[in-house]
This record gives sequence, structure tokens and C-alpha cells, in this order.
Amino acid sequence: MEEVNGILVAAYELKAPLAVLRQLALSLSFDGLSVEDKKVQEEMVGVSERALKQINDLMKVPRLEESLFPMEPVAVRAVCDDAVNEITSLFRAGELEIKYQNRSRLVFANRELLASVIYNFLTNAMHYVGRGAKAEMVVKERDGRVRVTIRDFGPALPMNTWREIKAELISGPKSVAMRPGSSGLGLYIASKFAKYMDAKVGAVRHRDGTSFFVDLPVSKQMDIWSAI
Amino acid sequence: MIFVIDDDRLMAECVAKAVDQVGFQTQIFSNAIEAMNEISAGNLPAMIFLDILLTGPDGFAFLNEMVSYNDTAKIPVVIVSSLRFSEKDLDSYDVVGVLNKETMRPEEIIQYAEKYAK
Repeated sequence: MEEVNGILVAAYELKAPLAVLRQLALSLSFDGLSVEDKKVQEEMVGVSERALKQINDLMKVPRLEESLFPMEPVAVRAVCDDAVNEITSLFRAGELEIKYQNRSRLVFANRELLASVIYNFLTNAMHYVGRGAKAEMVVKERDGRVRVTIRDFGPALPMNTWREIKAELISGPKSVAMRPGSSGLGLYIASKFAKYMDAKVGAVRHRDGTSFFVDLPVSKQMDIWSAI
Repeated sequence: MIFVIDDDRLMAECVAKAVDQVGFQTQIFSNAIEAMNEISAGNLPAMIFLDILLTGPDGFAFLNEMVSYNDTAKIPVVIVSSLRFSEKDLDSYDVVGVLNKETMRPEEIIQYAEKYAK
């Protein structure tokens, strides 16, 4: 419990300077920026906002034990669309391909937590786009569950990390040395959120990247609607 | 004159800088007591941007002081904080808006200033 409180205090302490950095970056607009400087400013704002979002997600982890996140039928495609819209400025045209392979389904989840899982996977994939590489998001129904997969073309996931994900043994953030740009924190948070929602997080290794997925139970309410 | 009350100097300066863009003068205070002393000395602001988690008396203590005096009860206040508030938290005060420090943009600060400080 002490450790959890320590994480919460540290996370809270980190939020204030990040919010200031973001605001300072935004304030630069008043000084008249060149096109190049404007790009740097946007990067600074984006990095600060993603870090703030990750800290806010991290602060939700201890609250999972208190069951403060209601589970309800959620339109999975709408959540995916929202996550993509939020992150769309980070991908250039053609760098993110989205494939919805079924009609939209209702899954049983918490909308806020599900959005964070997808956002985390997308920000991870974002690190490896460019120079012809892209990311893919596929939403597909299979065996009464909906799988949202985000495929990247980064370095292959280290075998030990993959084993941990497969065995659902992710007990804390870990540096994933073979994947520059990844602290493992997003994966840790995603796995915690998924567990709360009775969903499953997994990863498939490819020789040229990794697919992270979350499997979600289809809402029973969906069955009722289908029967009508 | 617009008061900006925040114990984070850099954040206060960001708010002041935004407001300066549209020609308003600002005065920054790092705690509620300094601001109350200034008001007691007769310098009534047109509006206030107020942080809640302050060193010393917090933002709510400041708001309670404001509503308890006839001449300050109707001064518009915009809360600038990372905390979340319900309507019930704020309905006793003349709070005209809440800006989240993590998501607010300078344009929103300017909009409040133009609407309430003129």
C-alpha cells in the first residue's frame, strides 16, 4: 500500500511541471514562430500531453481495486475512432491504416479504460512509423470476443517480454531495451486496465514488428439486439 | 486589472502572458493572503484567475473571503487547476469558469478575460 501511495504522490508531483512545460510551449505562439519552430512547439506540446495522459492513467491503476470504473456496453468502433482522432496528428497521411472487419459491436467494458488501452497501443506504434513504415489497427470479431489489434513495424519484441505478456505476468513497468522509445509503462497500464475489464492483452511477434491486441467480451446486450 | 493567483510562478506568468496579448494588465500573487491584502488596500480587480492548491490558505478559503464582502462577492473568478470540481463545489461562489491546467489553451484564457474583465 505504501508503494502504491508513493507512486500516486510521485505521479501527482510530475503532473504540475509537465502542465507548466506544456503551457510554456503554447505561450511561444505569442512570440511569432517560424514554420520550423512551430513544428518544434507542436512536438513539445504533444510530448507533454502524452506524458500527462500516461500519468493520469497510472494514477487510475490503484483505483481499479476500488472498482470505480463502471462496466457497460460500449461501441468498440466509436472508442477506436475517438482514440485515432486524439492521436491523428502524430501520424502523417498513410502512416496509420484502419481496418474494421465487422460491423460495429458492443463490448462489455469501461469506455475510459478501453480508450486508454487503445491509445497506449497506438502511441507505442507511433514510435516506429515513418520512412515507409506504417501502423495498422484491425478490429475483428472472433469466437464471441472482439479483438482490437495494433500492429507496428518496430524492432521485434524481446522474447522475455513476450513471454510475460503471454503468461499475464506483467507486474510493473519494465524498460524494453530492444524497443527504443518504449518504457513498458504503457503496456503495464494496458494490462492492468484489461484485467479489470475481464479482457485480455496479448502480443504477437513478427520478424518486422509486433502486434499488440486486446480481446474484449461481446456485450450480452448485443445478443438481445441481434435477436430482435 | 486582472489578478492571477498561483503559487507556481511559471504557470501564473503563462496566464498573465495570454491576458497581456489582448491588452489587459495583470498582477500576480503567489498566495491568497497577498491577494486579499491587496484587495483590502482598495485595489479591486476586474476578474481573477485562481489556483486552488495554494501554499497557505487554499483557493476555497480565498473564495469564502471574497463572497463574505459586498464589494468582492461579484468579482468574476476563473479557477485554474488540475483538480476536478462538481457544480455543487462551486455554486456558492461567483465562479464563471474552470480551466484545467493540463488541457487549457491560451485562447481560452483570453476568451474569459475578454468576456469578464471589460
